Amino acid sequence: MSSPPIPRSFAPVLRSEWLKIRTLRSLLGALLALFAATTAFSAIAGVSETSDPEFDPLFMALSGVGPGQIAAISFGAMAVSSEFHGGGLRLSLAAVPRRGRWFAAKLLAIGVPTLAVGLVTALAALVVGRAGLGDAASGLSTGEQTRGVIGCAVYLTLMALFAAGVATLLRSGVGALSLIIPFILVVSFVIGDAAGAGVADFLPDRAGQTVLYETPDRTLGPWTGLGVTALWTAAAVTAGAWSLRRRDA
Amino acid sequence: MTSIEVQALTKEFGTRRAVDDVTFRVLPGRVTGFLGPNGAGKSTTMRLVLGLDRPTSGTATIGGRAYVTLDEPLRHVGALLDAQAAHGSRSGRDHLRTLAASNRIPDRRVEEVLEQTGLASVARRRVKTYSLGMRQRLGIAAALLGDPGVVMLDEPSNGLDPEGIIWIRELLRRLAGEGRTVLVSSHLMNETASFADHLVVLGRGRLLADTPMREFIHARVRPGVRIRTTDPTALKSALARHGHDAVEHEDGHWTVQHTRVDEIGAIVSAARVPLLELATQEATLEQAYLDLTATETEFTAQPQEA
Repeated sequence: MSSPPIPRSFAPVLRSEWLKIRTLRSLLGALLALFAATTAFSAIAGVSETSDPEFDPLFMALSGVGPGQIAAISFGAMAVSSEFHGGGLRLSLAAVPRRGRWFAAKLLAIGVPTLAVGLVTALAALVVGRAGLGDAASGLSTGEQTRGVIGCAVYLTLMALFAAGVATLLRSGVGALSLIIPFILVVSFVIGDAAGAGVADFLPDRAGQTVLYETPDRTLGPWTGLGVTALWTAAAVTAGAWSLRRRDA
Repeated sequence: MTSIEVQALTKEFGTRRAVDDVTFRVLPGRVTGFLGPNGAGKSTTMRLVLGLDRPTSGTATIGGRAYVTLDEPLRHVGALLDAQAAHGSRSGRDHLRTLAASNRIPDRRVEEVLEQTGLASVARRRVKTYSLGMRQRLGIAAALLGDPGVVMLDEPSNGLDPEGIIWIRELLRRLAGEGRTVLVSSHLMNETASFADHLVVLGRGRLLADTPMREFIHARVRPGVRIRTTDPTALKSALARHGHDAVEHEDGHWTVQHTRVDEIGAIVSAARVPLLELATQEATLEQAYLDLTATETEFTAQPQEA
């Protein structure tokens, strides 16, 4: 999306969108689940087998992102789909008829909390993961760990926004979730394993997760991988914005 | 104060014309009843005014401006479209606070409209626990939030209990009395007759009438007189002498059309006809509406719920 100068009246819209998220327990629950699932699975991974030749201590410590991202995706999809109940979108767009402005505020209200919770989550996951791994993770540099934590938070944010874009396009949170989650859990795994490298490394989840490895052995580097995920997110968000602007509410 | 101007407005959904070249103005200081059977295009017209749907052609403006160009529109126009629009998991108060925040309306107003709509005691409860009537009140509260000069309500009495119906009637009268522009859609004739000054009638997407309510009724239905008597023969002959034709009804009462009770009263009293009842039969909006729609061939070909 292009970024026009932020109008003076953007702040109230953002405040309203943030209030909408704060006042729905299910959305706060999704953010809590993001933290809980990620750290819990990282803790479990920390005490697992470390003799695998492909063992990567940074990814092992942050591997809770695999299940945790489901919560981030749910958060993004549900924050949008909460608008599609019984003509709710009409009410929102009657209050804020400039749809681009409204959507930008919605995305910001989804992205910022996800990023904040994502940072805390990644840090906690790394700490508990390392505690379990012990000596196996002692070789990680500060730079690698910082990259892992920030990259992890950005990745989770991009996935939440990706889901928000798809949910806006489909006008359905359930639709978005039933498209994205099987994709991540099944398609990405299958293609990833079958094709080995190459095309699969450009899928939204696999590309972004490159940033979680100490020594990525993929087509893309850690930041370029995250950049590819950002492109997927940009595409989903643009499609959502296009649909929102074009269609009758 | 501001008026709503609808100019040659047309909206097609696929091949169906939901709104067909409709032009009318809704003026401030009176309640305009927006009538028509379900599917006549009332709700679509309201969505077009609010910029939620894009017109196929024509324009809808508020005080000369398209709704989407209004800054903080809730301060200009308050609308109730669908009572189900509030998210069930939010409290009524939080629902209103999110709307207020987007238009920089102070939270004080949230408390005021909750009080005004009788929801203050349930404001902290989640909307999913509300009855239909309470949701309807919450939707009206949202419409009043920005103290707007234009109020547009789609079927506001849906689901309201009798007390609520009296409340909404008085609210609408008061809003118009304060000089606001009030447009209220309904498919209930008696209900509309109780609060409207002016009528805009749609049928199959086309404008059928745009007239003051009194004029609308009197142009179509003449008042009559209702009589019950123990001596029908004397009644009939007395009336016939003065050129009136009495019609008997199943339950035994008689009606005389196109006349007034003053005239009939004098005639029957002079003829010493024993009377059990003598009353004015008011022309109703319902009769006038049915008369209007009967002349619309499309309606009679495919009768709709009205």
